[in-house]
Amino acid sequence: MSMEISSGKAYALREQLVEEAEAGGYHINPDDSITMTLVEGLVLNTSRYGYPLCPCRLTGGDRDADLDIICPCDYRDEDLDEFDTCY
Amino acid sequence: MRAACRVAYVGDVRSEKGGVDMIEFACLEDVPGAKEDHDLVLFALSTCGWCRKARNFLEGNEIAYRYVYLDQLEGDEQRAVLTEASNWNPKRTFPTLIIDDKDVIVGFDDSSYTEKLL
Repeated sequence: MSMEISSGKAYALREQLVEEAEAGGYHINPDDSITMTLVEGLVLNTSRYGYPLCPCRLTGGDRDADLDIICPCDYRDEDLDEFDTCY
Repeated sequence: MRAACRVAYVGDVRSEKGGVDMIEFACLEDVPGAKEDHDLVLFALSTCGWCRKARNFLEGNEIAYRYVYLDQLEGDEQRAVLTEASNWNPKRTFPTLIIDDKDVIVGFDDSSYTEKLL
């Protein structure tokens, strides 16, 4: 089930996301088994589409149509309110 | 809104449609397991951590299933599989697990999978 990406890129992005999240009053999920999979998905989607599409959503490859689901997506806060995590 | 991998609902959405042919796509990958009590089809994305969790649950419990990563399909094949997945889950979110061509679990959480499958 592995994704063919550079783990170095993923760890670098993870660090960037930690900084950005903390600066905005958010926290990265402490469960690295889920966090790193999502970060790897962001790296892969950026490679595929040119933008960090949410790893849990399917795209047709149209950036303008995907603006609401580019990480951090429009639904993050709503998810956090309801589930304490984003999906 | 376009919700993602949350558990949106659990239930039988097919019965109201009068029955549909069993899900059969050449792109479905078989994952063998000691438990074959149910015919399971998992619509998933290779990039999705919750889809990974769902697969880990199934394989950790030695449950046989079939799956497809829709993001790894293209063109007509992707559209056909997405249409099928949408029949079960109109929000087109992942993972979506079809149980015995009858029930569906949208999203992943341990309790829903345990309740339905163990």
